[in-house]
Amino acid sequence: MDINRRLFLGRSGLGFGSLALSAMLQGAERGVNGLSQVAPKAKSVIWLFMRGGVSHMESFDPKPALNELAGKSIGDTRFHYVQDPERLRKVRVVVVNDANGQQRNKLYPLQVGYKKYGASGIEVSDWFPHIGGCIDDIAVIRSMWTTDDNHGAQVQFHSGRHMLDPRVPTIGAWVNWGLGTLNENLPQFIGMGPRFFDRSDGHYLGPAYDEVKLKIDPRNPLDYAKPQGDITAEEQRLGFGLVNRLNRLSLGRYPDDAELDARIKSYELAYRMQTSVPGVVDFEKETEATRKLYGFDQNETRPFGQQLLAARRFVERGVRFIQIMHGDGAAGAWDQHSNLKSGHTKLAMQVDRPIAGLLKDLKSRGLLDETLVVFATEFGRTPGSQGANGRDHHPYAFSVWMAGGGLKGGVTHGATDDIGFHPTENPHYVTDVHATLLHQLGLDPHAMEVPGHKRLEKDFGHPIQGIIS
Amino acid sequence: MSASRSFLVPAVVVITAACPLVHGEKEAPSAELHEDYGKVKELLAAKCHSCHGPLKQKAKLRLETRDLMLKGEVIVPGQAAKSLLIERVEDMGEDRMPPPEEGAALKFGEIALLRRWIDGGAKAPADEPVPQGPGGHWAFQVPRRTALPDDAGNPIDALLQKRQTALGLKAQPPAQRTILIRRLYLDLIGLPPTREQLNDGRPWESIVDELLASPRHGERWARHWMDVWRYSDWYGLDKQLRNSQKHIWRWRDWIVESLNDDKGFDHMIHEMLAADELAPDDTDTLRATGFLARNYYLFNRTTWLDATIEHTAKAFIGLTLNCAKCHDHKYDPITHEDYYRFRAIFEPHQVRLDPVPGETDFEKDGLPRVFDDHLGAPTHLHIRGDPKNPDKSRLMEPGVPGILASFAPPVEPVKLPAYAYAPASRDYVRKDRLDPVRAEVETAKKELAEARKKATEAPREEAKPKPGEKTKPGKEPPSAPPRPDFVVKDDFGKPNPELWEVIGEGWHYKDGAVCQATATRDTERLLLRPEVPRDFEMTCRYMHTGGATYRSVTFRFDVSPDRKYANYVYTSAHASGPKLHVAYTRGGKSTYPSEGLVAQPIEIGKPYTLRLAVRDRLVNVWLNDKFQIAYTLPDRKPGGGLELSGFDATVAFDDFSIRALPGEVELTKSKNKEPQPAPEPVDSVEVSEARLAAAEARLASLQAIFAAEQTRGDPVAYKQASKRAALLETEALKAAGEYESKAFATDAGKVKAARAKIAKAEKKLADTGADRVTYTLPRVSRKALETPAHKEGQYPATYPETSTGRRLALARWMTSPKNPLTARVVVNHVWLRHFGEPLVETVDDFGLRAKPPTQQLLLDHLAADFMENGWSFRRLHRLIVTSGTYRLSSTSVDADARTRAADPGNRFYWRMNVRRMDAQVVRDSLLHLAGALDLTSGGPSLDPGDAVRRRSLYFKHSRDQQDKFLKTFNDADHLQCYRRSESIAPQQALALSNGKVPIEMAEKIAGQIEGEDFVGPMFELLLGRKPDAAERRECETTLADLEAIATEAKKPNPAQRARRGLVHALLNHNDFVSIR
Repeated sequence: MDINRRLFLGRSGLGFGSLALSAMLQGAERGVNGLSQVAPKAKSVIWLFMRGGVSHMESFDPKPALNELAGKSIGDTRFHYVQDPERLRKVRVVVVNDANGQQRNKLYPLQVGYKKYGASGIEVSDWFPHIGGCIDDIAVIRSMWTTDDNHGAQVQFHSGRHMLDPRVPTIGAWVNWGLGTLNENLPQFIGMGPRFFDRSDGHYLGPAYDEVKLKIDPRNPLDYAKPQGDITAEEQRLGFGLVNRLNRLSLGRYPDDAELDARIKSYELAYRMQTSVPGVVDFEKETEATRKLYGFDQNETRPFGQQLLAARRFVERGVRFIQIMHGDGAAGAWDQHSNLKSGHTKLAMQVDRPIAGLLKDLKSRGLLDETLVVFATEFGRTPGSQGANGRDHHPYAFSVWMAGGGLKGGVTHGATDDIGFHPTENPHYVTDVHATLLHQLGLDPHAMEVPGHKRLEKDFGHPIQGIIS
Repeated sequence: MSASRSFLVPAVVVITAACPLVHGEKEAPSAELHEDYGKVKELLAAKCHSCHGPLKQKAKLRLETRDLMLKGEVIVPGQAAKSLLIERVEDMGEDRMPPPEEGAALKFGEIALLRRWIDGGAKAPADEPVPQGPGGHWAFQVPRRTALPDDAGNPIDALLQKRQTALGLKAQPPAQRTILIRRLYLDLIGLPPTREQLNDGRPWESIVDELLASPRHGERWARHWMDVWRYSDWYGLDKQLRNSQKHIWRWRDWIVESLNDDKGFDHMIHEMLAADELAPDDTDTLRATGFLARNYYLFNRTTWLDATIEHTAKAFIGLTLNCAKCHDHKYDPITHEDYYRFRAIFEPHQVRLDPVPGETDFEKDGLPRVFDDHLGAPTHLHIRGDPKNPDKSRLMEPGVPGILASFAPPVEPVKLPAYAYAPASRDYVRKDRLDPVRAEVETAKKELAEARKKATEAPREEAKPKPGEKTKPGKEPPSAPPRPDFVVKDDFGKPNPELWEVIGEGWHYKDGAVCQATATRDTERLLLRPEVPRDFEMTCRYMHTGGATYRSVTFRFDVSPDRKYANYVYTSAHASGPKLHVAYTRGGKSTYPSEGLVAQPIEIGKPYTLRLAVRDRLVNVWLNDKFQIAYTLPDRKPGGGLELSGFDATVAFDDFSIRALPGEVELTKSKNKEPQPAPEPVDSVEVSEARLAAAEARLASLQAIFAAEQTRGDPVAYKQASKRAALLETEALKAAGEYESKAFATDAGKVKAARAKIAKAEKKLADTGADRVTYTLPRVSRKALETPAHKEGQYPATYPETSTGRRLALARWMTSPKNPLTARVVVNHVWLRHFGEPLVETVDDFGLRAKPPTQQLLLDHLAADFMENGWSFRRLHRLIVTSGTYRLSSTSVDADARTRAADPGNRFYWRMNVRRMDAQVVRDSLLHLAGALDLTSGGPSLDPGDAVRRRSLYFKHSRDQQDKFLKTFNDADHLQCYRRSESIAPQQALALSNGKVPIEMAEKIAGQIEGEDFVGPMFELLLGRKPDAAERRECETTLADLEAIATEAKKPNPAQRARRGLVHALLNHNDFVSIR
């Protein structure tokens, strides 16, 4: 590897070095890291991740057979074959002797009803009626699988790599890395909501590719967004101005110093960022109707709704990747080993209206075509019961959905057997979701490498053609 | 063409053009080379060599050169169609090469390349040497010095200049002196020089020696090695320890001290891998094994050992052993078996915390270390790396990779002293365990004296309850006469010693409040002198003003003189769970009932008013006039004291009133189950005598047990001592039973248990005729759980008396003068940290894919010199920083145009590389320049945060804890950081311009320079050089502007404020975070 590594990393930082800036000034939408975009369909991604593991049977892959077979042991039904060890062997166990992540044999009936929605007639559970109302804009993938039977699968969904493997950049970091900026005043990768297992995104790409953590607080939306001390805006302006002029004078002393050049740009962006970001999370100018659409009128829906409205406002302003995690706690709130019914009822209520509101809002503004919305979770839940009223982790099959960004609406892709245990058609590993997303953004995953690291060395993935329109 | 392409492509082209220089010693005769042949070789290397190359010769075929291909009869020059090579790569069936399990099929373009080359006559340079086998790999040869003439000067300069001259490159002149001194300070001690130090006129070597001898040097370089050796503090959820170990900072201190002592890297390796075998009774040295303890992983032993294997190999010998976990290494001569032989070295080892002098609680302190526990644990090869599929037909013997095994020393078991395998035999352990029991005896003696005194003063004792007679919980307390007029008020305007007894230090009256200024967990308190009636109502206004963890303010009542009985309510501003809580103390033990708790945000600096109404056992609490808690206490003992205090908190009380509770006030009834009062020891001479007897028996028993432990190693003495220990232990058990049966005579359950104890002891005593010598081994060290299913108690209290010696043999192999890798790898790391670029690009991989470094002679010379001179880091640093090369200017201004064009990447060190400060250096420099850095060395890791003033290496650094400021500046990845990444992000700009630390430090730094000229000296202090005219002008102008706006805004002291603004801007200058 003969490319000077520091030069390389220095120049490419966060997509606003001299290249990105000049690309931007030319109005070009080009990849900043040598990745030319091939016919991009989508410009931005809103990535919604339900932490803990949403029950697929009780959300987007309803399984009435569970009601018929309730109480029976899987081995006593016609589905006895699903537990054939050969079919379970892909799972890599992190926690030996864990009380969770076990096979659960006694089939547990659906804890909620479901019905058909929209012209497509896709079945969605009664916990998500508002998302159901948008189903004709959604592509549901019912045949996802992963290999971690514990919540490290969250890391796996974001990075494509198992918890026991070294940490690698997440999909958000790669999109940030691969795409040029559309707005010189804002960071390209914004994150909201709780994280636990891995709080960084950039890894070998560096912290420049970490999500910029955002809080819904116009007074203090970012880390270090305003001076933590008595410095007036005018003083700050003078200070930044002096730094800029002195650094430019230094260019004469160190003509080959790429870092110096990049640092000058980083200060320019930083200065603009701190003034432009607070305005994005200030919802003053949004109408009452819009706020209601996102569920601002209800205590349960407001917090998530605010994050989603902020996401729309960032998308409008050209931010590339907005990553929103839902469900607090170490494992994640959706982790209903017990009290599945009350837990999922409550959590679904927190997200259902805001997400439907986001989809409608994007659509009415003509943004849905260029914005990819992803609804994901780390794994599904067992068809069998855990304890009296819960379900355990189920990495073998689960559902995600995507909408907008040039994907088909009102379709389902892939399927599971009648108890939701294994995919029976078109199984997809999590990196297929990444590949689909990169494809729609027009990025070539084969070109994603930095000195010493190749994204595709292990992270194979193929676009899910069946949902691309 | 996009802007991005226009950048990348020229960069690649320029560097490729420089390739003949870059690729080192042997310059290829590229002119005659058929241009396709190079590409063909690259393709075959990537696709075929792992099976048909230096490592393996499947079908006896090698494909590295044209001649080898001809010999293998796989190509027919000029006739691709007749060449077996083409046939096999084009095959669509099962004969396809590479086979599916080995790799993807060749692409059309790749096959076309092969065809074109063969059809074109399969041209290749004449006399192409047959590549050597893996044994010939450059990094597997013992490094040798280059013979240099006596007057050659610094060998670094001599070796580099030779190459530069040969290539016609011209080096830059040395950097200016102040820039150089700043460079040296930041590199060697990680702190910038003061202005005085910048202008130090002494010879360079004197300054170098002074810095190398500074304790700060060890701290600076310890942080580098903590990167490479994966320092990480512990991580766990709840109380479950999942990664690393508690108190692992002791290993960090060992690193710092070893570097400051210039211990020798060979010794450091021996100690990190095997201090427990090398120095089993030296607790200071044992700290080194934190290197291994850090890999502890609760859930999965294979994951734990995989990390140990991978990172031991990468860190010390630069081999990616981990690639051979599932199959033979694809690129290096490391077999699947090699991996499991290496695993067998570590198979027996486990982790434990040993006691440290003065502390018996492992949560508070302890020494993390490793030891061999399962001496006979077998290692099996895992088929395809699957731990569920071990090959039990073979036992893997411990060993190092076969290709380098010829000089491996034999494995010899190590006999351990009792000190190591039976930690209870240590003197300090005995003392630490006996001291509290001795204190118990003293207390019991005092109590007995008091009881005797009481008995003589009050000869007519109250009738004691008969044993077995149960007192009803919550019986009516002795009725004190109601005192409806009782009222006491105090606004704490001034001290009122008649009202309050002030106990402890730190209380003072200020601004109409009584304040406790230091947060302690001691018994500092204000005790109300007047006796409070049974039913009362108290109101108090107060403020939490700060504190450490719990940050509680407590109101106690019914406090007994010995403070072993009390009822109380407190508010806690504990960060993770602020609350309001009713609780009680019985017999010195506190109970915190959940029904008495209300979670409540309690903020520092906010006034609260707490109202407390007590009627008999019912307690009502209001906070800021809002009703919060109704709770019924188990019992009451009115007539005790009322106290105000803080716990772990600083506090200000500013208004207090208390009165008898009027009968008409209605209280809210409680819903809690009535708690059972804990039985209390009955007070009497007889009980006190029994208590003393029990304490003395326990002391005697423990003394006998520790005495027995100390005779370990002498079987005869041990047998005798054990017998005595067993006897005394039984007697102590009996004495305890006797005491309990008397003390808790009112509690039938306890009496029954006590009698059972006595009976058990008597049975044992009757049994002594047999040769019974077992006593309860004291558990004085804590073994880390092997799996989550285990409990600590199931492990033996002593450990194996021998260690396998496997790790010591490994360490000696690594540091053998015949080992070609260890010194090269470490020298490369040192070079990287002085020059910003390593000599070998892949710092953790010196295997076959690692190209011979451009400066191989230099690397080898330094490695050989390092080994020959006691593996001394100090000597190596000195050699480097006193070289002319290290002192070159980093600018390319006025550089020779040809040099600049020929070697823009500076492969030949014709100038210095500019580096960015490590995250830790950025923060430490800010504090140091401000005179605010606390240079205390060592000790437990600190919670990160802006208020900390210690050096950054002392921060906790783990999966979950990393300082936010440091993280922004590319802090080390705790999982593996053989080399830090460097990026430039706007978050860094925001952290430096808006962060609390830079702003605070700017203020302090600005105060350090007085006098007319502020700009010049300040510029020099912060950036290491004087400003030029333009820079000075910019600074002066901004300074004046800042002062003008501060004056206009009527800010106090506008001139000083403007100076702060200027300093703050200079701290954001690119050259502040750069090492020029």
